[in-house]
Amino acid sequence: MRRMWWTLLVISLVMAGVRASDAQVRGTIFGPGARSYPVAVSPLRNLSESGAAANFGTQFADIVSADLNLSGFFKLLDRAAYIEKPETSGYTADGINFDNWSVIGALALVKGAYSVSGDNVTAEVRLFDVYQRRQLAGVRYHGPLGELRRMANKFADEIMKQFTGERGPFDTRFAFVSTRDGKFKELYVMSPDGGDLQQVTTTQTINVSPSWSPDSHLLLYTSYKRGNPDLYVADLASGRDVLISSRPGLNLGGRFSPDGSKIALTIEDKGNADIAVVDRGGNLLRRVTDSWAIDVSPSWSPDGRRLAFTSNRSGAPQIYIVGVDGGEPRRVTFSGTYNTSPAWSPKGDWIAYVSRADGGFNLFIVKVDGGDTRQLTQAAGNNEDPSWAPDGRYIVFSSSRTGREKLFVTDLTGASQVQLTRGGGDDSSPAWSRWLE
Amino acid sequence: MAVRLRAVAVLGVLLAVGSMGCSAKKKGAAAGAAGGGVGEEGLAAGSSLERYKQGTLGTGEEGPLKDIHFAFDSAELDEQARGILRDDASWLKDHSKAKVEIEGHCDERGTVEYNLALGTKRAGAAKEYVVALGISADRLTTISYGEELPLCHEHNEECWQKNRRAHFVILGE
Repeated sequence: MRRMWWTLLVISLVMAGVRASDAQVRGTIFGPGARSYPVAVSPLRNLSESGAAANFGTQFADIVSADLNLSGFFKLLDRAAYIEKPETSGYTADGINFDNWSVIGALALVKGAYSVSGDNVTAEVRLFDVYQRRQLAGVRYHGPLGELRRMANKFADEIMKQFTGERGPFDTRFAFVSTRDGKFKELYVMSPDGGDLQQVTTTQTINVSPSWSPDSHLLLYTSYKRGNPDLYVADLASGRDVLISSRPGLNLGGRFSPDGSKIALTIEDKGNADIAVVDRGGNLLRRVTDSWAIDVSPSWSPDGRRLAFTSNRSGAPQIYIVGVDGGEPRRVTFSGTYNTSPAWSPKGDWIAYVSRADGGFNLFIVKVDGGDTRQLTQAAGNNEDPSWAPDGRYIVFSSSRTGREKLFVTDLTGASQVQLTRGGGDDSSPAWSRWLE
Repeated sequence: MAVRLRAVAVLGVLLAVGSMGCSAKKKGAAAGAAGGGVGEEGLAAGSSLERYKQGTLGTGEEGPLKDIHFAFDSAELDEQARGILRDDASWLKDHSKAKVEIEGHCDERGTVEYNLALGTKRAGAAKEYVVALGISADRLTTISYGEELPLCHEHNEECWQKNRRAHFVILGE
């Protein structure tokens, strides 16, 4: 991923005083999936004399709106209902007629302006509390026009921080595999708002299980491009693609440790899948499991000391936890006869997994100690491949509820499930990166 | 190392199939005449992955070695599978130079990674049984394609049953 050189200045703002996160809205009006907080996201006003980048302001608002829609917290107000026109109205607390926004039901308002110079843009964007008629946050972005999406995603993260007390998960990327361009699963990356889609592989063979490095620059994946399912790492910025592990048989589901120094993966020994840890060059550091049973799909604890994984050592696949240095695995899931795909939350509290239930495959979360199991999806196609947002509040997954497999994002109650990808082909195995810087 | 050798072997067969086109048939027929009706199927049968690339997966795989099938989430060999493997082993005894790749496949249900591991187990179970019947292990390699290369694309048990298979590819003799 290209290093960002544009700068970001938090301007004067968060005008002294109460932050929204301290105000009455937090925890009262807001509930996950409530979609209760009405927000208007106005296109940014173009201050340039020339007509250059005339769409920038609308695109910015579109991306912020798509992000906020994913969060499940907000009700996005229809732009057609806006009374103030972006090209003629003010964009600071002094210049906005808040009555024009309260009358259409907005409690929060995003307004801003931008000017273009050559290939660069400067954008000032502000978040207002309509009822209290004051600014909650303001940010000035300066950088190449091509960084529009990151600026908008960052501002959506800021809005989330103001209203929920925690930064949002939108200045990130998704990796996934898709058959949208042919019959093979190829690797793609895209922005959480659904834009900026890039195809990473054109191998014309089977590719599975992408996952990110902690710095969000590298993608591990397993490919059959040399015949055997080998583990590769793709550098998105340089396009370099390096073979990491080509042991006979499986080299599957590689996952970088949280500090990025090691990789856990599934290897094959005497015709059976086991968990191992290798260094970044693919050299074996240790065998974590060595059993007659299938052991597969390692997922690191945030402190890098334990791994959740799938094992059928009890006779059917269940989720287990084991120390990276070995020891006796502890079983986490006890309900259901088919539980796979563990994903350890970056906050450390939950493990997401897939269970065969209600006539299909559904997404669950369970506390690391095995308590408090919650079902997030119910009997709508197959729901698989959970991957956590870096803020630990959302999960991206694949679902066949609309026919083909598509990507969805859910909160931790299952109340808000938003479809992210559409069109032809199957999209699956999503991996949510950490924040980009 | 074993992987590389196998890759070379597969590539060799593919190149033979790809570059010879029509002449492959002629050569196959000739080999067949000399080798007791073996050559044509052996040369024509690529791996399932190659067949999928060519758009021919599920058509004309039937060689002298038959697929075996499995129950959901199982790598156990039932009596029918063992019977087929005994026939396969006896063919391998009669064609003592033939090398075979055993592919493990799964139906679409469940997780991609788990199914890749389960496919490994299925191919391994078939190999183990054939080895127990006296076939040298170094004539048999295994690979798992998990749920990635289904023969049948409908979402019902009839289809899933066809897809839960171990498939034998003759690499060369």
